[in-house]
Amino acid sequence: MLKKLITPWTAWLAFLGILLLGGLIAGTLVFWKGLGITNLTDLVPWGLWITIDLSSIALGAGAFSLCAGVYLFGLKRYQPIARTATFVGLIGYTMATLALILDIGKPERFWHSMIYWNTHSLLWEVTMCVILYLSVLMLETMPIIANLEWLRKRLPRIASTMEGVHHYAPILAIVGLGLSSLHQSSLGATYGVIKARPFWFKPEMSVLFMLSAIIGGISLTLFASMLASRLTSKAKINDALIERVAQFVGYLLIGYFYFRAWDALSMTYAYDPGRSEGLNLITKGLLAFNFWIVEMLLGMIVPMILLLYKPTRMNRFWRMIALFLVAVGVVAFRWDTNITGFLVVMPYVPGQAIAYASYQPSLVEIMAGVAIIAYGLTAFSLGVKYLRVVDHSLVEAEHKTVKVEATEPVTI
Amino acid sequence: MSDKRSSPMEKNINRREFLKLTAVGVAVAAGSRAVTSSKASSAAPKGKHQWAMVIDQSKCVGCGYCTLACQAHNDVNPEIQWNKVLKDGTVGEKQVFLPRPCMHCEKAPCVEVCPVEASYYRDDGIVMMDYDRCIGCRYCQVACPYEARSFNWEKFEGENPAVPEWGYPEVERRPRGVPEKCSFCYQTIDRGLALGKQPGVDQDATPACVNACPTGARMFGALNDPESNVSKALHENPSYRLRENLGTGPRVYYLPAVDKKEA
Repeated sequence: MLKKLITPWTAWLAFLGILLLGGLIAGTLVFWKGLGITNLTDLVPWGLWITIDLSSIALGAGAFSLCAGVYLFGLKRYQPIARTATFVGLIGYTMATLALILDIGKPERFWHSMIYWNTHSLLWEVTMCVILYLSVLMLETMPIIANLEWLRKRLPRIASTMEGVHHYAPILAIVGLGLSSLHQSSLGATYGVIKARPFWFKPEMSVLFMLSAIIGGISLTLFASMLASRLTSKAKINDALIERVAQFVGYLLIGYFYFRAWDALSMTYAYDPGRSEGLNLITKGLLAFNFWIVEMLLGMIVPMILLLYKPTRMNRFWRMIALFLVAVGVVAFRWDTNITGFLVVMPYVPGQAIAYASYQPSLVEIMAGVAIIAYGLTAFSLGVKYLRVVDHSLVEAEHKTVKVEATEPVTI
Repeated sequence: MSDKRSSPMEKNINRREFLKLTAVGVAVAAGSRAVTSSKASSAAPKGKHQWAMVIDQSKCVGCGYCTLACQAHNDVNPEIQWNKVLKDGTVGEKQVFLPRPCMHCEKAPCVEVCPVEASYYRDDGIVMMDYDRCIGCRYCQVACPYEARSFNWEKFEGENPAVPEWGYPEVERRPRGVPEKCSFCYQTIDRGLALGKQPGVDQDATPACVNACPTGARMFGALNDPESNVSKALHENPSYRLRENLGTGPRVYYLPAVDKKEA
């Protein structure tokens, strides 16, 4: 009896459940005791949670990029991948929302951003776009949710209506592309407009955030699909499709590497208060390992080679490693960017030297952060098992049934 | 035949042009609405008074009375200082100090970045906080070049150690989860003006830190009044503002301490 209960699947869910429980405790503590129990300070007011927020939005970007590719640029055969990406996007954006609710000091006033508009604020624009785009993602995932067996059996009408949203996919893709281009860039600009912190103050910020989000988002979707297909028979992938998109990611990485490297290293030619110190931190100081090894080497150069060199790209194992590394590199970029701007404390007293702040996330922050990630993993796992989120054989059948409706075995 | 060929073409072009014009029109309308409707985005409106503070560093002895008076009158958590007194090198043998309230910038980054317009300009130039509207995202803290904002990481409970020795609270305590900052004691200014007093001249209408200063290092008044003490002080002495290169236009001016022997 017990042996039947303990399967890899239930063990995995139990493991995630423990992490989620930890997060529930941490979250309750934060709402009850306030942000005082975090290690955030007036000098470093944004830390681990904002990194999770930025990263999950970035890694959810596969949804808009692949949907745009499929429905706007006519790359129809990649539709099965776009379908997975949409679901991953929905998970990413809900993760970001969770992180933000924890992170703001007055979570009960989250709706103020919808009522009180400061159209000049990048964060206002990001909030509006994220809310609207979350709605788009929900509509886009309707046909996926409609796959739920229970829904199909009990509420076939609702299920078929939800499936019908599929016909609006091109319109949703246009809206999604617009909203995503806006807020993915604006998240970079959120930092890029802050003149008080010279390390951030530059126009490239929005370009880099956008580009890295597209690359990281597509990579995570491909990686998650491949991993799922290795672990369960519920996930069926068309490896040729993934391989082609992976090659595309390889080419994109060249461009990203070019921009990121020049963006960072063109700062070196003269001393610029604040900016030079920030550059020192990421190239020689505290974050040097993150920058050189995680971001540059493992996040860009290694996967670039693995994805552009045909034998390694054709090898599923190496391709998976490469795609995973890309996603990790994008997260490292978000972390490094956010934290460096805070660690360098610009003096306002004339002639005073630049000071350095420090930040280590507290246990509560880590527990809540891990739980947010665990939520994402749970949602994806359930999606793979019950909603056929990763099923590249599914879509062709769907298109056929639209044409020949009579053959559809509808259970009423 | 040629008519038939040309007319749809024309129609087509017309339609396209029409669409183009409509798109441009909508964009312009939306853009102008966004710009004009946003109270926060425009520079501070010019009211009757334009308040400013002048701090004479040659007079400041770093006693910190200003900070204590501020904490009492504004009921500030002892862990938070709206008005911080910092060391600023030496002139000759003498230690020089730099008290730092909120700069009440003319182009305040905190006002520009606040997603909900919880930070805003008053007509008299004071940069205000609406503590009931703030969602606690701390973007203003990130954007402020002067570290003038402190977040309420915890709820301020219990007695205020600065009360009653340094004064009595005149404003409500801020809740946990919002940042707070100096307001030039707007409550004192408003009440004083209503009573016919003159801020910067009559104590009843002047910020607490200015009143508390034992050496008279702080001056307060209207910058747009050439006869005010601040205008005169700035006219007669060299002055500077903090991080002026950022273009924030602070309303707090400093008269630098000078070496008397050299001068």
